[in-house]
Amino acid sequence: MVLKIFFPQCCNRADSGLLVGRWISGHDSAVVLAVIHYPFIPGQVKQYVQQMQAKSGVELSVLGSWSLPKEGQEGMESFLRDLSTIFPQQRWLQIHREIGKTGFTCEVLNRDQNGRVVQQETKKKSKKVEEEDGEAGGDKEEQEEEEEEEKVIFVHYEQRKVMLSQLHPIQNGVPDPKTDPPSELRQMFQTVATSQPLFFMDRYDDGPLKSTHWQSEGREASIIVELLKQASVPLCLLISWLLSIWTWICNIRIFSLYPLRWLSSKLSTCVQLSYKTEHMRTLSSAKPAAGHTQFMRKANILVSFLVDVALGMLLISWLYRDNHIAMLANTLVPAADHVAKELDELLQWLMGAPAGLKMNRALDQVLGRFFLYHIHLWISYIHLMSPFIEGILWYGGLSACLGLTFALSLLSDMVALLTFHIYCFYVYGARLYCLKIYGLSSLWRLFRGKKWNVLRQRVDSCSYDLDQLFIGTLLFTVLLFLLPTTALYYLVFTLLRLVVVLFQGVLHLSVDFINSFPLFAVGLRIFRPYRLAEGVKFRVLCEEPGTALHLLMEINPLKFSTVVQMYRTPTYSCYPKDSWAALVKKLFVGELIYPWRHKTIKTE
Amino acid sequence: MSVVRVMGPDSAPGPAVPWRKVLWERQPFPDNYVDQRFLEELRRNEGIRQYRYWAVVKEAGFVGQQLSCVAIFITLWLYMEQGLLSPERLLLTSLVCALLGYGLHQALTSQMESGCELRTRLADLQSATIFLSFTFGFSPVLKTLTESVSTDTVYAMSAVMLLAHLVSFPYAHPSTPGSLSLNAALFASVCLASRLPGALHTFAMLSCALLVFAMWPCLLQRLRENAPSQFTGLCVGVCIGGVGGLGSQSPGGAVLLALALGSVTLLCPLLLVMLQRHKDNIQGPWDEAEIHEDISHFLH
Repeated sequence: MVLKIFFPQCCNRADSGLLVGRWISGHDSAVVLAVIHYPFIPGQVKQYVQQMQAKSGVELSVLGSWSLPKEGQEGMESFLRDLSTIFPQQRWLQIHREIGKTGFTCEVLNRDQNGRVVQQETKKKSKKVEEEDGEAGGDKEEQEEEEEEEKVIFVHYEQRKVMLSQLHPIQNGVPDPKTDPPSELRQMFQTVATSQPLFFMDRYDDGPLKSTHWQSEGREASIIVELLKQASVPLCLLISWLLSIWTWICNIRIFSLYPLRWLSSKLSTCVQLSYKTEHMRTLSSAKPAAGHTQFMRKANILVSFLVDVALGMLLISWLYRDNHIAMLANTLVPAADHVAKELDELLQWLMGAPAGLKMNRALDQVLGRFFLYHIHLWISYIHLMSPFIEGILWYGGLSACLGLTFALSLLSDMVALLTFHIYCFYVYGARLYCLKIYGLSSLWRLFRGKKWNVLRQRVDSCSYDLDQLFIGTLLFTVLLFLLPTTALYYLVFTLLRLVVVLFQGVLHLSVDFINSFPLFAVGLRIFRPYRLAEGVKFRVLCEEPGTALHLLMEINPLKFSTVVQMYRTPTYSCYPKDSWAALVKKLFVGELIYPWRHKTIKTE
Repeated sequence: MSVVRVMGPDSAPGPAVPWRKVLWERQPFPDNYVDQRFLEELRRNEGIRQYRYWAVVKEAGFVGQQLSCVAIFITLWLYMEQGLLSPERLLLTSLVCALLGYGLHQALTSQMESGCELRTRLADLQSATIFLSFTFGFSPVLKTLTESVSTDTVYAMSAVMLLAHLVSFPYAHPSTPGSLSLNAALFASVCLASRLPGALHTFAMLSCALLVFAMWPCLLQRLRENAPSQFTGLCVGVCIGGVGGLGSQSPGGAVLLALALGSVTLLCPLLLVMLQRHKDNIQGPWDEAEIHEDISHFLH
């Protein structure tokens, strides 16, 4: 059996005293949390330990004694052994450190059934090299020495880091007793983290007991933190009041009518607005965050929101400085005109013999004229709108104070509205093409004397009437020979549509990125890597034959990719919902493609 | 069977009990044991029909006349394209032929007196109206359909489709024309008709195609069932008509057609009758081994 003792580094040079900590159940290991110094009254120590136990919920106990004799102090041995009778324990550790030496000595006193103290001669002198020059890193190794019955391994840990760090993967809630108990390491982390009340006792407090453990260096900044905390309460109240008004407005019946609801689900600005509302509701809720995950979620949302607003403010300051708005408005109308002109030329080209392709002249002319008329309509609409565009831009730019994401969503919507003619062309082309494809596929079955059996989901043979065959073949021929013309129009307008969809997709992706990127978690990972622990690694501090093994436990920080993956705020994510193959198939069959999702599936 | 031997992998123990071909009874034989009676059930060429040459030739006449029909259709199209035949005359002739054929068909059907579901006159009229109206309505569209497609492509497509028509034609039961054969023929005729100079030409050509490819086989089948002697004469007449018609436009094509007709109606039956002596088909009380080649097995 190997006895593992987790020893805090801050207690290395503590004065002699009692070791307070916890035996980890199920494992042969002990976590030392603090050292209570002499002199003390045993009754007070017992009371203190019970008090702490009640506060933190950790099974605290006195593990043993610690001695670091000062100059001239001698003869503690018998006193230390006597202490074990005052604090009855199954095992009593006597850790001893000598002046000028870096090694610890550990004696384990086992108490047998009769209550007699049996001392095992497990004296081990171990030189503890300084932590700084521990050279070879390596995993824990089993010591194999036959002459000792019980070996002791000291695992030195940094109390503050272990207390603050969160071991991943996170296990929320009370662990199920039926399943496996949590691992030793997890128990150790939990013990240190939950025994925070123990560390509140200050070195300079005038209490009956003096102890050594990790202590904060000072609390200068905490005044500001406290003030902020005080201020956040009315702020939250105000925000939640505003939110309730906003929710009330949103819930007015007129907004839940079909066309408005449909429109708002399609406009990314509205989606963004509802999304922001949800976030603010999460932030301003009166309940404190329960658990690490929720806390991180709140913090991420808050930081993202602040960054978002800051970026939005930057945008506003740029927009309203040198009359950029008017410049934009003045370039927008000619740009739309230019696009319309290009489209016009494209259609003229298509109505000729594009790329040497032989198209059906009559159908080509009909389609071309139809689309030309559409463009004409569109240009008149743009010119009708042009006096108002500057105003629209001016007021729209104000929305950037709600955040950059909001401005981007607005931009996406405006692009969608300005390229509505392209969308219309695309829809006409796609519908026509889709009709042809479906007609051809079913008429091809008729051509072979087959039919699609809906009930059995398969192709059956079927005997058609003469007139059915005749009309079917006639239509088949017509559709087949007209297909290339339609397909060319469809292809050209689909390419145009894809350009617009790509642009909108980039906007949506950037909005989604700003909204969901876990800035707080990533910042934590950069500046306080120990806060998010993935595991630990051990470094050998001192390994000599015949001495106890001294290991230094270091925290392995979580990988960046894992941080991003784990703490990403779930959004209405607008990632392309189809695979590439599905997209190509849709394009081939002529189904409509959209940059937005059809159903808002919350990926909670 | 002079050689008597026990089939099976193992020499069986002393057959005190006679072997029976059952598996539900425990017997002192291995499961795969069979005795010498095994080959007694062998049968050769079961249900064979001895063909006579002239009977086969008569049946093959149907194939020949279908070939000739295609030739006649092509001839008509050639005449139309060169303007030698006006669409009005073709339409008129078609109408007369259709009425005559319909009358004959009705007469033959009433002779048969079989009670199987007969189409009413009204349904026939309805079908005819649908044919004519659709063809007439679509003929301007069909006219411009293949305008931009090159003539060679159209010819190649028509040839392939007519060949498909001939290959997939249900020669055994032509009264219900097979979908594929009829559709292929119609497709080819639409392709060809769209090359004609006017919309009325297209309409006439399509009506004619309908007559030749859809109606004519029905009538011919009736004739074959009810008047076999006239049927033979008709087949010969159609064949001569096809060769003659094609000859008036392209003598080379006529020679080729005549050769094809000769080989189909005379040479192929001769080969069939001669080769029938070599037929050797055995059947017996065994399950034929089937090899299901699993290609995916080889991929790994």
